[in-house]
Amino acid sequence: MKCLIMITAALAALCGGVWAQSLKPQEDFKFLKNAATQVDQQIAAFYRSKNLAVPPVTDDATFLRRAFLVAIGRIPTAEETVAFLEIQDADKREALINYLLKSGGFSSHMTNWAFDLLRVTDGSIGSGANNEPYRYWIRTAMSDNMPWNEFTNKLIASSGDGWDQKTAAVGYYTRDRGMPLDNLSNTMRVFLGTHMECAQCHDDPYGTTDRRDFYQLAAFTHGQGTVGQEHMAPLWKELREAKGGRDEEYRVGQVLWDRVYGMSLGGGGAGQIALPTDYQYRDAKPGDVLGAETPFGQKVHISKSRGESAGREKLAQWIVAKTGEQFSSVIANRMWKRVMGKGIYEPVDEFIPANQTNCPGLVSCLEKLMVDLDYDLRAFQRVLLLTRTFQFATNPNPSSIQGGDDFHGRKIERLSAEQIWDSLITLAVGDPDRQAPRALDDRIYVANRPVLSGQKTMTQLSQEVLALKSERELRSYFANLVKEINTGSASGQESMMGMSSKPSYNNDAKVRSSELPSPAPRNHFLYLFGASDREVVDASSREPNVGQVLSLMNGFVQRELVNKTSAHLYKSLEGASAASEKIRRLYIAILSRPPTGEEMSWTADEVKKQGDAGYRNIVSALVMSSEFLFLQ
Amino acid sequence: MNPFPKADELTRRQFVSNAARAYLGVHLFPLLGGTLASAAPETVAKGGSAKNVIYLFMAGGMSHVDTFDPKPAKKEVMGKTEAIATKVDGVMVGHYLPKTAAVMDQVCVINSMNSTQGAHAQGSYIMHTSYDMRGTIKHPSLGSWVLRLGGRIHPELPGFVAVNSVPENTSGGFLGAKFAAAPIGSPDAGLMDSRRPGNVTTEDFERRLALADRMNRQFHGRYPNADVKAYEELYREAISLMNSKDLSAFDLRQESESTRKLYGSSRFAQGCLLARRLVDNGVRFVEVQLGGWDTHYDNFAGVAGRCQEFDQAYAALITDLAKSGKLKDTLVVVATEFGRSPEIQTEHNGGRDHHPQAFSCLLAGGGIKGGVKHGSTDASASKVKDGIVTVQDFNATIAHALALPYDTIVMSPSKRPFKIADKGVPVTSLFG
Repeated sequence: MKCLIMITAALAALCGGVWAQSLKPQEDFKFLKNAATQVDQQIAAFYRSKNLAVPPVTDDATFLRRAFLVAIGRIPTAEETVAFLEIQDADKREALINYLLKSGGFSSHMTNWAFDLLRVTDGSIGSGANNEPYRYWIRTAMSDNMPWNEFTNKLIASSGDGWDQKTAAVGYYTRDRGMPLDNLSNTMRVFLGTHMECAQCHDDPYGTTDRRDFYQLAAFTHGQGTVGQEHMAPLWKELREAKGGRDEEYRVGQVLWDRVYGMSLGGGGAGQIALPTDYQYRDAKPGDVLGAETPFGQKVHISKSRGESAGREKLAQWIVAKTGEQFSSVIANRMWKRVMGKGIYEPVDEFIPANQTNCPGLVSCLEKLMVDLDYDLRAFQRVLLLTRTFQFATNPNPSSIQGGDDFHGRKIERLSAEQIWDSLITLAVGDPDRQAPRALDDRIYVANRPVLSGQKTMTQLSQEVLALKSERELRSYFANLVKEINTGSASGQESMMGMSSKPSYNNDAKVRSSELPSPAPRNHFLYLFGASDREVVDASSREPNVGQVLSLMNGFVQRELVNKTSAHLYKSLEGASAASEKIRRLYIAILSRPPTGEEMSWTADEVKKQGDAGYRNIVSALVMSSEFLFLQ
Repeated sequence: MNPFPKADELTRRQFVSNAARAYLGVHLFPLLGGTLASAAPETVAKGGSAKNVIYLFMAGGMSHVDTFDPKPAKKEVMGKTEAIATKVDGVMVGHYLPKTAAVMDQVCVINSMNSTQGAHAQGSYIMHTSYDMRGTIKHPSLGSWVLRLGGRIHPELPGFVAVNSVPENTSGGFLGAKFAAAPIGSPDAGLMDSRRPGNVTTEDFERRLALADRMNRQFHGRYPNADVKAYEELYREAISLMNSKDLSAFDLRQESESTRKLYGSSRFAQGCLLARRLVDNGVRFVEVQLGGWDTHYDNFAGVAGRCQEFDQAYAALITDLAKSGKLKDTLVVVATEFGRSPEIQTEHNGGRDHHPQAFSCLLAGGGIKGGVKHGSTDASASKVKDGIVTVQDFNATIAHALALPYDTIVMSPSKRPFKIADKGVPVTSLFG
């Protein structure tokens, strides 16, 4: 039992008390534990003020499943369940949290969250550009647990090469090429919980934002372009207009135009912008140039006459450091929702100052904690997972407070599409986190076929092309590249590699949802269960529909789990002979708990009547059950 | 008359035996569909003749200037787009739509649409629900409203099917999951997983359901929660669906090669064909989505590409329905969240931005007069000049076409009053 040893080892490290004095708060377990107690004290004060009874703490099995699904997005394997349930140690819940936060599953699960929030898709309709290096950058940032303020800053301020991992965060803008104003609205909503969509077109009648404010803010990000695409414009026009004969050149040209230049970001933010032609208010005329100015917080502005070349850097600085507690409150509340199931205030993308929330003390405490932990989201989640509040028993009733958490026990909620999928593949293949995350695919594809394999990558190509200084240099580089590619394919070297087209996972590929194409294909299990299409912010759904039920009864689950004798799930039956033992193991593998006496009698009956088919019927019923689909 | 409370009364114990009986071929609700279809509208004296709706949603914001509201006199507005004549004098369309031009005698163009929402999420939300997005409540989508007010027609097939759509737009909202759409990701694959796996016997299949039901009863007893209950109900629904002799409604292979060719081979085209099959079989509301209209960048290439998918499929759908005489029973809607700016953004390679102030939608069939243009915009297609139709009016018109009482108030579980079209009023002059 490897995981038993790991959990025990984590425990030993805990009890050893070997932590040095110089640890940063986010690395200091004592600090984190203490912070968890402070959070619990806030909740206790809330109960006292409302005259509410403190809910009981849930049992080990429910805690185990909840902690796995919340922290790493999947159910525990049978081995992990047995290990946890068998340990008698009083500190085992803490040890489990430490085990989970070390798991690769943690960053996989965070990646789904980030992809939904930032609308990360593999490609975009009508463009040959792809978001592979940007996707990989986010995935890596989640694995490395990049602090949220640094992450935000990189997304908003980066410029340059879309393939270079140092600047690949430019995908944040190139993903929205041509719609910088929508991109900015989303920035305000995602990072500051401020809605400015209305003010793109008119003064917000309900809020305080004028259209002019919005344009002043937009000035910071104005003037986004590419890095030197103009050097290629004449050649690209020739290639596009050429009638036949230059097809191969055209396809190579596409690589440069769309996937090198098209994925680069030039222009650091002009700091000035002209009002649109339909500007309708008296304070200025259409076409008037405005200088950049922030709408609240510590004012940052750029004079309209001088302009600027690093407006986006200034904007990023303002967002993360000059908006008071707004930046830290919004991310703290998002993390609270992620761990506790519901935001302290909802919707989580509408910031509310602490003193106007239902629980001002708690909100202030979390804002401060986020700052004390240097925006370390893993450490922050660790604190929340260590609280007693996280361990409260399940409460089937919705929150009694409109638009927020009433902190009164864990609300029952259907799992996200990704949690269900990742749990099913755990049953199908065992711990999916042993598989390495997918690597950056930076091969050069010409018409979906990789070329120059082993000689040049997209990263190298992009670096070389973006360094070209003139049309002349570009033309000569291009001619050379076409020649190289042609020589390569003529020598048959590409086909020997056996890579005829882009690799892709089929719909039954049993890997974590964070590894699958984004968004999920329309005929995939994830789509059916409400995964976001990643066109708008946080668009996933947990609403039931009849297609989901059909899928559970007749689809992937039956094909890959119930009726497949090689499914990992059935391995747990090895060595068991008594029916009751086999049933017990199936319950542990699927529901992370042993059956009750009553359940044992139905299921034993099933096996008696149907023999081996009885076990499959039990597996099928357990996976179709609401207990499997809902988080308690 | 709402059919569902009746169904809700079935006890869970009945569910076990019903589930089994349904699967064994004993139809449970053979008459239910009949009662529903005859449910008389209460407050609408006269409306359209539609029984079904095919709602084609152009996601991303379809450029009205380049499609159904061209301004041939204004070169600077039109850019690369040219206006072409249609079968109807005085109605012109963008040159990307030659086949649609030939069926415009069946279609009513509304050029005076106006929305208050200029961002995608909010814009498509209000089109689908008649309400602004709120943090405190989830509003039902149009298809759910139609089911709630009009009931379903076929007792076993879902009343609301959404092809290539997103759950945000097809949610049952506060009406609950039983009013949400059955999603179809790929029209070619039809309703996925609607047949029992071949290697599972009927007996084992039933035993699984009975066991799962026992589990669920326990769980729901412990946690009486609306979503948990919804899954229980969906099992019952799924079983009667699996057992329906009309399940082949989802199977496009039953269509002749020539019909499939008429529609075209794109996903959207196959979605339109599937929609027609479904309404033929008594599905009340089918939404088919065509995405990719967000043409901020290189609008003209984008619109050309989208229209290539749309044009043939839409013209085929209208032609097909008209030929079979089904067009009077079927309201075909073309909607989008907003139009696109008449100004062309040269720095975005000829792109157009969002434009909720004025845009175009289409209605055809279900008693709507064809060959008609309603409302107009100013010379540059920028503002509505006359005959303004708000999003809510548009949805009220859809309800009216179905002769549904659009002013019926339905209370949410939180005791707030809502209507299918909020304060919208139908444009009755569109009906013949």
